[in-house]
Parts: sequence; structure tokens; C-alpha cells
Amino acid sequence: MKGKIEVFKVVSVLLTLITIFAGLGCVDNQAEDENIGAMEDSSENITTSEDTVLTVFHAGSLSVPFEELEAEFEAKHPGVDVQREAAGSAQSVRKITELGKQADVLASADYALIPSMMIPEYAEWYAAFARNQIVIAYTNESLYSDEINAGNWYEILRRPGVNYGFSNPNDDPCGYRTQMVTQLAEFYYNDNQIYDDLILDKTGMIATTEENGTVLVSVPESEALSPDTSKIMLRSMEVELSSALEMGEIDYFYIYRSVAEQHGFKYVELPPEIDLSSIEYADDYSKVQVEMANGEVVTGSPIVYGVTIPKNAENPELAAEFVKLLLDESGQQIFIENGQPPIVPAFSEGKESMPEELQAFVE
Amino acid sequence: MNATIQKIRRIEPLTFIFSLILIILFLFIFLTLSNMIFGQILENFSGLMKAAGNRSVMGAIFLSLYAGFIATLLALFLGAPAGYILARFDFPGKRLVESIIDVPVVVPHTVAGIALLTVFGSRGLIGEPLASYIQFRDALPGIVVAMLFVSLPYLANSAREGFKSVDPRLENAARSLGAPLWKAFFFVTLPLSARHLLIGAVMTWARAISEFGAVVIIAYYPMIGPTLIYDRFISYGLSASRPIAVLLILVTLSIFLVIRILSAGWSIYDRD
Repeated sequence: MKGKIEVFKVVSVLLTLITIFAGLGCVDNQAEDENIGAMEDSSENITTSEDTVLTVFHAGSLSVPFEELEAEFEAKHPGVDVQREAAGSAQSVRKITELGKQADVLASADYALIPSMMIPEYAEWYAAFARNQIVIAYTNESLYSDEINAGNWYEILRRPGVNYGFSNPNDDPCGYRTQMVTQLAEFYYNDNQIYDDLILDKTGMIATTEENGTVLVSVPESEALSPDTSKIMLRSMEVELSSALEMGEIDYFYIYRSVAEQHGFKYVELPPEIDLSSIEYADDYSKVQVEMANGEVVTGSPIVYGVTIPKNAENPELAAEFVKLLLDESGQQIFIENGQPPIVPAFSEGKESMPEELQAFVE
Repeated sequence: MNATIQKIRRIEPLTFIFSLILIILFLFIFLTLSNMIFGQILENFSGLMKAAGNRSVMGAIFLSLYAGFIATLLALFLGAPAGYILARFDFPGKRLVESIIDVPVVVPHTVAGIALLTVFGSRGLIGEPLASYIQFRDALPGIVVAMLFVSLPYLANSAREGFKSVDPRLENAARSLGAPLWKAFFFVTLPLSARHLLIGAVMTWARAISEFGAVVIIAYYPMIGPTLIYDRFISYGLSASRPIAVLLILVTLSIFLVIRILSAGWSIYDRD
């Protein structure tokens, strides 16, 4: 008897769950209906509209502007669902090149990754559409936050008790750019101990000065990086450090200006000679090179975002529409507001293989 | 005699169908893993050997096992008494308590990691008063805490079920013969539910070893196995991360196999 009651209980729970899910399904369909407007044969049309998914892989530092782009794009194209996946730039590229994942749009925090890792096999062109710069972000809670400025930031970071963070150079462009900025600071402030004190002595990094004055920073395998965790907080992606700053886990971290701006952090703007923001100083930046554990060498260069439509895109026409939105005036406005000044017109490689409607936006 | 032979020869349809389903379930897990393991062994055995000979790789795998083991011990220490109370007593809000204990299984592990860092970070509720003694962030205590959080429900639940399966009348009998409750618990209830506890502990350990999402938020360094696998994947790609993944699977698989074989005899205790 008791067994029977138990069975009824289980069945009724299952029925309730099924009803709830079925109900949710209906609500969802109705919402779609309203979006799309009048439908004659609704069921069939809904399936097609639900199937239109635009997959966008992008760098973590592009999350906020891309969220706004997504909202705008979905408003213009009802029935299209933009699905964004934020990750480190190199990781985003690898998802396409190694895991064979399908993406309609790829946007990288370092445009150079597209020509070096994707062209010609996985993509045919890129457009470099916006800039950024490295800053030192902090909050009012940060130790010595009332003293820090562009002239003494490296002195403050040196002080005992101050914790700072940066991302893993092997995984994330923001990480190797941190090495470049700190190394360039040695030239700019005429203090050849800055990089040693802040990073070299506290991690497994190796720095060598070559004959022509170029400095090469060699990054060991990630597990051998072993930072002094009482001073440095290292994470795979720069965005992960934002929450650490908010929690007071670190006092300062190297980050893109855009991210600092979007999170409402205070930040020290570094001199343009070292902050990788200006094409003017491109020659100075190139005096620092970082060799990652996989042997790839990156040379210091201004921070420029790049976008492409991979060859495996399932919806290349929609993807072109999305990139067009990104490059035209409404997109530019979004990037201005988020601290990532757009490059107008965007510069590109492989312009002739770009979708025609995009060619007007690039040179 | 005749009847038993017939029984063995004739397979019930239900048994047949359930066996088929078991095969499907087994193949689903086996094919997924064996494809990776044998793929690695056949295509790139030297890569596997190289990973096995790499000190930092073995160090990371060992750290996973070690931190998971500490987490399991702590989970036993916390989960067994809690399970006993939940099995033996009814109190207002018991359902709520049980549901909350299950939450770590449901919560996305990144969220668990963020929550843990908020509490155990150097300015957190627990982390701050302890800051001068223990560093949780990017240190072994942080790894253990993260593993404990996500795996504790497995132990608490199986301990509760284990204690429930022991008839309270056995405890009462021991007590009526003059044993205090602690004696009845340690000499009657605990041995009878030992197998449940062991299975719970193995599940807890397994869950702890496989944990990545929560650990990576609170402690990226020192690197545990799953963090290293993820990191190799990001910086080198699939081919570099696979040998470590295979190694981790092989090491844990052999440990669990040994535990299961050793504990097989224990089932005698279970009933009768």
C-alpha cells in the first residue's frame, strides 16, 4: 500500500515538472510570435526563427560593448539570437582552429592574432576597428590610493603589503602587455630595477637584453610561472581580476582602460610612451618582446582590436550585418562610451575578400 | 533443483531490457573516455610518457589527489555527524536544511568560487580574521576549501542514507544493555553504515579531484591537475592538454578500482 502511494507521488512530481516545462515552452513560443508578427503556420516558422543563432566569440575585454551591440542587433533583426562567448583572445581563436567550433564572428583584443593564427586557413581578412591602453586600476580601498599617480605608481607597487595582479601572459594579451608596459617603464623612468622588483624576482619570468637594446621577456610554462602569491595575483584572464579588486583581494592591477572604465574603477593613466596606446610611439613599444611558453614571440605594438568572419561561419550574411553594425556610426558610439576609441576608417588586410557591404568602412 | 536450473536458463524480459540499458550507459561513458585514452596511447604514447616524466605535471596531479584527500577527511569529520542528526531526528526546518546542503551540487562552480573568495578572501568574513595566520587565496587552504564546498553534499547525503539504513532498534538494544550513546554509535551504527560512508567518501574524493571551476577562482596557483589541463589547452591547444588529462584519468581510475576491490568484502555487513 505504502509502495503504491510512493509511486503516485513520483508520478505526480514528474507530471508537475512536465507541465511546467511544457508551459514554459508555450510562453516562449508566444513571445517569439509577438516578436515576429503574424504567422500563418506558426510552428514551422518558429523553428526556423529559433534556429537563427549568430555565434560571436570575443575577447573578455569586449564583453560590455558587445553586449550593447547584441541588444541593438537583436532589436534590428527580430528572430535572431546573438550568442556571445567571451574568453581570452588566443583561446577564442583556438576554439575555432583546434576544437573546430563554429563561430560567425570573431573579435580579438590583439588584431595580430588573426593574421598569425587564422589567415589563410580559417579566415581571409580582418578589420582593426578600435584601440585601448593599459592602465593601473584601483579603488578607494586600495592601499596608498590617495598617493598614487603616473609618476610614482611603480614605487607604490613596490611597497610592502601592496598586492597587485595581472593576467597570464601565456593565455592573455593583457598579460604579455603588462610585461611590456613594466619593461618600458624602466626606460621611461630611468630605473632599471622596476621590472626586476615588480615581476622578475617574484615570478619565473626571464628577461634578456639583446645587443640592439631590445629586451626579450621569456615566459615559462604556466605551472612554472609560480608567482609569489603573497604579493602577486595571477589569473588566466584579465577580467577575472576585476572581482578580486572589488573584493579587496588586490590593491592594483594592470588592465585595459576600457575595463577599468566599464567597472567604474579609478585608474592611473600611464604616459603614452609606455601604455601601448599611441601609434606615434610604435617604434618605442617595439623595443620590448615577449616570448610565450609556446615559443611564439610578440613584439610591443599599439593595442588594436580586430574582427573577422571565420570561414566556418554558418550565417555569413548575418555575420556581415553584425560587423557592419560594429563598424558604422552606432557601433563607433558604443566603443567611445566604453573607453575603446574606434579607428575610423578601420584598417584591414584582405579587403578584397571582405563582404562588399563592409569594404566601405575600411581602408 | 529443477526449478532453479530453469530459472537460470530463462531470462526475464525485464532483466534483458535493463541489461541492454546498462550496456548503453556503459558504452556512453566508456566510448567517450576510451576514445581519448586509447587515442593518446596509440597515436602519441611518447607524449604521454613525457607528461608522466614531467615533475610539474605529476606535482599538479598529486596536489589534486592530496588536496582532495584533505577535503574528504574534513568532509567525513563534518558530514558524518551531520548525517547522523539528519537520519535520526526530526526538527522544524529539516527539509530546508537538507535542501541547502544540496545547493553546492546545483550552483555553477564559478559562482561557488566567487562566493568562497568573498568569504575566505583577505577581506572576507572568515578570511579577514584569519588573514595573519592562513592565506586562502592562491594557496592550499583555498583549494581545500573550494573542494570541500562542492563535494560535501555527497558525503553528507550518503552518511545520512547509511545511518538511516541502520535500524534504530539496534542502537536501542545496545543502550538498554548499558552502552552510552557514543558507544552505541561507534560500535554499532558506524560499522553497520561503514560501506555507505566509504562510498560517500570515494564520491567526495572523486568530486574533489575533478573540481575546476570553484578552485580556479580562489586559487589559480598552486596549480592542480584540472587547472593545468585547462591552462595547457589555452596556451598550446588540445594536443598538449590531452596527455595530462589521460594521466589524471588513469591515476584516479586505478585508485578507485583498488578501493572498490578492497571494499568489496565489506558488503557482508550491510544487512542480515
